[in-house]
Amino acid sequence: MADLTLLVEYKRREFLKVLASGASLTIPVELQGAETRVHVRRAADGRIDAFTGKIDMGQGLRTLLSQCVANELGVPVEEVRLVMGDTDLTPDDGGTWASLTTPETVPAMRKDAAAVRGAPLREPKEWTALGRSQRNLNGPDIVTGAFKYNSDVKVDGMWHGVVLRPAEYRAKLVSAEGQGVVRQGDFAGICAPTLAEARALAAKAKAEWAYEPLPAFDKMIAAFKAEGKPPVENNQVRYPPLIRRGDAEKALATASQRRSLAFTLAPIAHAALEPRSAISSFGEDGRLTIRCGKQAPFVVRAEVAKAMGMKETDVRIIVDMPGGGFGCKQRSDVEVEAARLAKASGKTVRVEWSRADEFVWSYARPAALIETETGVAASGRIVSWRQRNYNAGAPGLRPPYDFADHSNEFWATRAPLRQGSYRALAATGNNFARESTVDEWASTLNRDPLEYRLAHIADQRLRAALEMAAQRFGYKGRKVGVGLACNLEKEGRMALFVECAMEPFRILRMTCVADFGAALNPSNLQNQVQGALIMGIGGALWERLEFDSTKQLTTRLTNYRVPRFTDVPAMDVHIVDRREITAAGAGEAGITLTAPALAAAIFSLTGKRPMSMPMRVQTP
Amino acid sequence: MAKLTFTINGTRRTLDAAAGARLIDVLRDGLGLTGTKPGCREGTCGSCTVLVDGRAMRSCITPAASVAGKRVTTIEGLATAGKLHPLQQAFLDYEAYQCGYCTPGMIVGAAGLIARNASPGEQAVRQALDGHICRCGSQPRIVQAVRAAAEVMRRG
Ligand code: FES
Ligand code: FES
Repeated sequence: MADLTLLVEYKRREFLKVLASGASLTIPVELQGAETRVHVRRAADGRIDAFTGKIDMGQGLRTLLSQCVANELGVPVEEVRLVMGDTDLTPDDGGTWASLTTPETVPAMRKDAAAVRGAPLREPKEWTALGRSQRNLNGPDIVTGAFKYNSDVKVDGMWHGVVLRPAEYRAKLVSAEGQGVVRQGDFAGICAPTLAEARALAAKAKAEWAYEPLPAFDKMIAAFKAEGKPPVENNQVRYPPLIRRGDAEKALATASQRRSLAFTLAPIAHAALEPRSAISSFGEDGRLTIRCGKQAPFVVRAEVAKAMGMKETDVRIIVDMPGGGFGCKQRSDVEVEAARLAKASGKTVRVEWSRADEFVWSYARPAALIETETGVAASGRIVSWRQRNYNAGAPGLRPPYDFADHSNEFWATRAPLRQGSYRALAATGNNFARESTVDEWASTLNRDPLEYRLAHIADQRLRAALEMAAQRFGYKGRKVGVGLACNLEKEGRMALFVECAMEPFRILRMTCVADFGAALNPSNLQNQVQGALIMGIGGALWERLEFDSTKQLTTRLTNYRVPRFTDVPAMDVHIVDRREITAAGAGEAGITLTAPALAAAIFSLTGKRPMSMPMRVQTP
Repeated sequence: MAKLTFTINGTRRTLDAAAGARLIDVLRDGLGLTGTKPGCREGTCGSCTVLVDGRAMRSCITPAASVAGKRVTTIEGLATAGKLHPLQQAFLDYEAYQCGYCTPGMIVGAAGLIARNASPGEQAVRQALDGHICRCGSQPRIVQAVRAAAEVMRRG
């Protein structure tokens, strides 16, 4: 029975072998499928079982959550058997996104672990596993190549599916014919015992599509502005679309000097290194089991159930750690494709996306127009501030600065491109526009950009991060080629200084100080922040999805420049550990600093302020 | 299908390979050596890197037939007698990865470099690994790990 094969094989961990063999556990496995699920329990063998609906995608969650449990129970981290991202076994902890695991799941796991021990949460001074650099538990399997990502999984009797795709970007399926073609709505695909056979059949199949044209980039940006809808104030949502104080319009009218700036962002790809894949199988009981590499197993379950006309509880999603996510692996896509083919064929079917599929059929970080309208008092202080983000989203709208009157707005629009989540989402564009605007004022007023920022910042931790970063960098006032940026994003305080040079343009060094409160795993935190800063280089300087009037032209990694070894500067990334302050999530914030700091450096080198991402560096 | 004989991680094997098959598919599907990862399948990301007669090659663009009679080493073949290769140990020590998907190719690519240059400087490591993408941004740690491993290997 294919379904059983899936289950028996699906995790390497000893605990799951026990589970599949039906050996008894303190709480029967089925109970984890019921309404109330536990995060932590003591198993019959005396060891600790832990469960979370969150997944690890390289941000070190298996390690961090194991640390949480170990810390409260006073056991070695390796003793914790953590099951992640299995909708039958784990609680729904929400999708793995938005840097929420540290503020939400960490306390939940700790609380449940403390409850098993029957004791209150341990105070920071009693921490044993938390607050120290714990090596990534996946490490030994990663370096030997033994670690299994979804794309490495094979089950007996597995068939392979191929999806028929249009050349055009916005296309509806009109007809699909050919031997073995399975059609449902806009989906048409084929499966066969081997990938070669499936591909051969797909090559012979005939599909016709009706497509809609695509607007040029400039037209799309103009339409964002023409069609954008003003935000309605709502502070109950995670990302309020309107954050304001006082009366920005009135303050603008009375400002001593004003400035309007407009920034644009190109759509970009996540380009996680592992292309997505899924294996789907219907059991004899009619239940559908899917192994995949997604960040939000319960969201995928709901979407698959809907697409297949099934009850959510009849669908089981089991996540294998994805080889990179960055927001591109949240929604169902390849899972539904595999499920449709599995249903039609009665086989276990695997579908894998090619790199071109990843580029075209996933979704992009949204293109955007971001306008700032700002004014200063005679003293030079920024007193009125209006920031309008069209299309990118509301994250990161709140300024870290003390502007007397401000209005920060997300204007939603209808985008012609598939767009969705991305590491930090709109916070990158918002910080690029905000920091560039502040930097522009500093330059106009002939003020030092660090001193000018500090003059507007009340938050002591952000001030400290800026001052410490300046010191580590050796910042002694303005120097050609030096730029800086800061942010207070999702409770993380960060400051970045960069130094660049021309002919050819290159980044020489970066110094970053990051304060996320308690550093629960300092080495991993450093790795995350450093990685996010580096990822930010691509979006700042080169990354851009290209389209013509009907199709996406960017389909290959060869034509999409991401940061490589020779692009990465010398880096000093320092983590401030504030043990007594609740830890904030840190997987995203770093990426919001890179572009504005580089923009400031480029401005200092060329006298031309970059107004778009990716930026063009023009020789002066 | 044609018979293909080569030495894989020290063992001589003969197997069937489809005409035009790429080395990566023979390794992963034919031999179950899934440590060799596909990232781009066009030679630009390095995640599929293996050693062919000691030289780092992109297995995604290497015709399987071209390794006939040669020695192929994958990430699974680097550890000896249960002891990690110094590069594997250094990647562990520096935690030179996040998702780890690029890591096997990176380690094998670095092994190819050290075979040519026993004491690579910072720039040499960056140049040699420039054809490898780490989308998670672990490059600074990877450079450190490779140089540390080279040092260990020099000392023997
Ligand atoms: S998969 Fe071979 S170089 Fe990318
Ligand atoms: S660790 Fe994820 S791609 Fe390198």
